Amino acid sequence: MSPPILAVTGLEKFFGGVHVTCNVDFAMQEGEQSAIIGPNGAGKSTFMNLLTGYHRPDAGRIVFAGRDITGLPPHRVVRRGISRAFQVSSIFGRMTVSENVRAAVQAQMRATFRLFASARTLGAGETERMLALCGLEAKRDVVAGELAQGDKKRLELAIALAGKPRLLLLDEPTAGMSIDEARSTMELVDRLNRELKLTVLFTEHDMGIVFNHARKLTLLHRGEIILQGTPAEVRADRTAQKVYLGEHHL
Amino acid sequence: MPTTANARGPGSRLYAGFGISGPVTPLLLAAALGVPWLPGEFWTHVGTEVLIFGLFAMSFNLLYGYMGQISFGHAAFFGVGAYATAMLFTALKGADGQIGVAQFLLSLLVGPPVAALAALVIGFFCVRLTGIYFAILSLAFGELLFYIVFSWYSFTKGDDGIQGLLPPPFFQDSTNFYFFTLAIVAAAAAVMWRITESPFGYALRTLRDNQRRAGFLGTNVRAHMLANFVIAGTFAGVAGALWGPFSRSVSPGLLGWGESGIAVFMTLIGGAGSFVGPMLGSVIYTMLQAVVKMYTVYWPLTIGTIILLIVLFAPGGILGTIDKRIQAMRARKP
Repeated sequence: MSPPILAVTGLEKFFGGVHVTCNVDFAMQEGEQSAIIGPNGAGKSTFMNLLTGYHRPDAGRIVFAGRDITGLPPHRVVRRGISRAFQVSSIFGRMTVSENVRAAVQAQMRATFRLFASARTLGAGETERMLALCGLEAKRDVVAGELAQGDKKRLELAIALAGKPRLLLLDEPTAGMSIDEARSTMELVDRLNRELKLTVLFTEHDMGIVFNHARKLTLLHRGEIILQGTPAEVRADRTAQKVYLGEHHL
Repeated sequence: MPTTANARGPGSRLYAGFGISGPVTPLLLAAALGVPWLPGEFWTHVGTEVLIFGLFAMSFNLLYGYMGQISFGHAAFFGVGAYATAMLFTALKGADGQIGVAQFLLSLLVGPPVAALAALVIGFFCVRLTGIYFAILSLAFGELLFYIVFSWYSFTKGDDGIQGLLPPPFFQDSTNFYFFTLAIVAAAAAVMWRITESPFGYALRTLRDNQRRAGFLGTNVRAHMLANFVIAGTFAGVAGALWGPFSRSVSPGLLGWGESGIAVFMTLIGGAGSFVGPMLGSVIYTMLQAVVKMYTVYWPLTIGTIILLIVLFAPGGILGTIDKRIQAMRARKP
């Protein structure tokens, strides 16, 4: 097997006296599509914050694509190829949808220090592609803050994809979406994974989505990984049922 | 900015291309070109002041309207630019008090880079903070510079200020100086417009709307904030450089928080959400001040009341409020 694209070893994080990430070892192969599950407060979002440099780990190492990215600030982690979409959509509310995506494209092009280039034309083609990919063409001129919740989440995804990631982190990508929107969003994620070999790691509370769209699951509980395996293995596991799955009707 | 609007007439097309600044800019420019034809020198003089302070307020709005940070110390760079020019001016002028055209232009040129340098040093600290902390730190640095200029008598002449900044004969004519100022301010505004419409300008908007997310796009937040702080300081320095020869003197008050407040007021009146809003704010503020001061000493009371009304009833400023109306109208009839 080739070396993993993401290798996390001995990751630790404390918030005050609370141990939110306990000795986490985690690895992903390129092209994998996995989910992290676990009850509220299990440390899923913190784990993503650690991977993307938003929080600094207290101990442990994060190696991505063969290079140590532990402790790098978010903007440098992004440039190494890890993009993320947020659980609560985090967009640029006073800019239009196309301006949102365009700004992300231009950041990816590292063009944001070009003071005298025209923002309207630079990266226009790539912006169009992202809008089309996420089904946002019709909303291009809408001010992002006025979008419906589902559209905000799609814009969130478009912004993350504009970063041309090799690893895409999605924190509850379908939260706040209608069933149809959720289905089309996850179909898009599957397509990106299949066609572009994009490595995807997502968290999700909807077990239907998790079991249908992840090929590997990691169960997190109180900051610790207590189980990793295929959906079938996790479903059959008694501990998993006790700490998490039991809460959900399967 | 909507790009698909069906254009009806030049105003509508300008609006589609440039937002509310589109139709307003030609109006402002036409008015600016007409000012010297008004009888007497008074309005030409006021017009020059409008332009200088308008440029100052527009430079402030690079920080506030585009980057989302409010500075209460922006006059520091206006004042540093003014003092740099004034000091070189004084050094270059002859014993008879006259200065040559080349020396005059050279002294103007030195203002902006010195202001930029001051902005680089102060900005280095300010961009570590945001919101109220950014505002307070900028205020503290502004007052610090004010106090240095105020107290360092041997270097800056302290609270006496620097007098006798009489420009060369051609520029002593108020109409000539007005057009000279108009040319510089228009050129500076054009450069600022390019910057605000560049990828850098849009990166600033992402910082304004959602700084955390901007970092996750790969944008180095502090580096962009610092670059913009220096750019804004430089243009404030351009305005400051023009001030000395215009008013024939500079004084430490130019660096103080009262002066910084003028940029804030102008921007709030005209509208921070549009490029030319601060210039319109300067038109209103400066002209109103000129008129009100003719009749009463209660100018602060007057402007205070106006600001209060704007903040309460037209929080987007004049252009912001008009823009909202236009958009509502457009939404109703497709």
